[in-house]
Amino acid sequence: MLNPVSELPGCAPSETVTLLYRPAKGKGALSCWLALPSNMPADATPIVAVHGIRRGAKQQAEALAPRAAALGRPVIAPLFDKVNWPKYQQVVRGQRADLALLELMTELRLTGTWRTRNFELCGYSGGAQFAHRFAMLYPQLVTRLTVSSAGWYTFLDDAAFPYGLNERPGKTNDWGPRFAAGLDQFLRIPVQVCIGEEDCVSDDNTRQGPEIDAQQGRDRLTRARRWSAAFCKAASERGLTPRITLSVMPGCGHDFQDCVQYGGLDRLILPDGVATALEQSSLYSQQQEDGEAVKQI
Amino acid sequence: MTVLTPIALNTLDQAKWAFSTRRVAREDAVGLLDMLSYATSGDLVLGRVECIGSHKKIQLAQGRASELYIGDLVVLACGDRYAPDQFEGLAELDPQGADMLAGGGVLGRMRHRHAKMSAPTRITPLGLLANAAGKAVNLADYALEKVTRPEGLRVVGVVGASMNSGKTTAVAGLAHGLSRAGYQVAAIKATGTGAFGDFNAFVDTGARYVADFTDAGMVSTYRQPLARIEAGLDTLLAHAKRDGCDVAVVELADGVFQKETADLLKKPHVRDGFAGMVFAAPDALAAAGGCAALRAMGIEPAAVTGMVSCSPLGAAEAEAATGVQVVTRSALCDPAQANALVAQMLAKQGAHALELSEIGVAA
Repeated sequence: MLNPVSELPGCAPSETVTLLYRPAKGKGALSCWLALPSNMPADATPIVAVHGIRRGAKQQAEALAPRAAALGRPVIAPLFDKVNWPKYQQVVRGQRADLALLELMTELRLTGTWRTRNFELCGYSGGAQFAHRFAMLYPQLVTRLTVSSAGWYTFLDDAAFPYGLNERPGKTNDWGPRFAAGLDQFLRIPVQVCIGEEDCVSDDNTRQGPEIDAQQGRDRLTRARRWSAAFCKAASERGLTPRITLSVMPGCGHDFQDCVQYGGLDRLILPDGVATALEQSSLYSQQQEDGEAVKQI
Repeated sequence: MTVLTPIALNTLDQAKWAFSTRRVAREDAVGLLDMLSYATSGDLVLGRVECIGSHKKIQLAQGRASELYIGDLVVLACGDRYAPDQFEGLAELDPQGADMLAGGGVLGRMRHRHAKMSAPTRITPLGLLANAAGKAVNLADYALEKVTRPEGLRVVGVVGASMNSGKTTAVAGLAHGLSRAGYQVAAIKATGTGAFGDFNAFVDTGARYVADFTDAGMVSTYRQPLARIEAGLDTLLAHAKRDGCDVAVVELADGVFQKETADLLKKPHVRDGFAGMVFAAPDALAAAGGCAALRAMGIEPAAVTGMVSCSPLGAAEAEAATGVQVVTRSALCDPAQANALVAQMLAKQGAHALELSEIGVAA
């Protein structure tokens, strides 16, 4: 059963939202935080918001709750705890985080939290790593993807997995080709890459090394730009029109609350009307001379 | 002269109705026809068990097996059967006694049996069930509405080296994996003999839509006109699409040398309708032969599975011999891997337009 925790302030009287904690149901299952608007149409597309390595699932649900209320859409924030999910960002490394999320979504469908066939997916930092990799594995499930402040990415190139989509040397039946299999469909997803303007210095949590630095750059801002460009390049090579936006949030570093408060991350994740957002993202995805699709806001 | 005998009230309620008859409205059967020698495939027969042989149970329409006793009244469908591991027989009824060719409810005349099989269970036909118009009740009268093949449904085929090569396990695994990955999946058996084993295995996967050729009005596809089998497949796919499915996993029974299966695969309308084909094989040699046979039909197999996948050495041999990836049952059940397999098929669809040849394929 769901455990009501609080009714959030900050919403208009007609836009109330309830924040709920749902415990995990069984071994290997995920708990989650839910933000459920009081006025939610049956066809409301949920937004699944994945936390970073600080495991701020509640923070994700709280931050997106006012926008969810305004739009009448449920927020589902799964919790990958530190003990059981130390590598959830990489999705298929160790215990399978993708399967855990699929199971959670199945359970939430049974309880009526969502009824659509697909959902939107967003993630912050480590959650952004998870989000883009999950969407590569299951592009048919994700109608819109927001990747915020990821430390590093799986690039859409022939580098060895997990940096790229090739098999690792000496490995057979590796995950790279499985991620690559759905690339055509993945590249059709409207994608928004968000990054703080000041998130341009590497820290202790930024994966470093000659290989990744050469491929992706040394800091999150550079890596976001390069991955966005790689997305555009991969789409163009397949004759697809990339629908990707790179949003650089002014005055923001690597802090989720700052990104919401000052960078408008909640509005980027949940804009007014998805259709409008898609149209905008199409406009933004023009490749610049340096090959990067950049629209800074 | 045909004699129509009214059936006493409640007589048919006592009979065990076989799985193959599950779509029939029982109240339509109001009489018995004695024209047994004119029976055709799909006609329903009321019979009495005379001798228990190979089949000691009957698969009921309710989806469970029932022990057979001498003297039991049973309702079966007259039909042909092709089963290299069991019986081969024809849709012919001898008034003195007929053979129970399949536990799912197929009655006919056995021609061949596998050495391990004992004689078939013998049924004395009491007559063909007749409707109020005096016509034999036939499964075709209760088939799904005939519809042409739908657009926009991704179809994955599963064929194999033989009976018991792992096809049903593959269909079930893939249907389960794709369902977990969020697809609305149809699991369909397009050819074979009416029986609930495969049907129930498909239902257990969580697939949204499950059907077999009996839903298209055939008790068995053996010796049926190719156009009818093809139309049956199209109908089942169309109904899956109507039911909201976006992916269908389709099993073709027996081995790729079985006549109806081979003929179907050679038809461009059928062959080109598959996004990809999975081949189930018991061992590496069968995998090599089966992949060669498929290629001769213009089909590039997307994956090999079946018993061969249980053995790492066998799988390595098969991959080396065929150049095709070998996937295990657990891989097919894995939503990410099932998803990737279908995505690979879609990416390659149309890229392997091989020339059709008859090499190694039964005519």
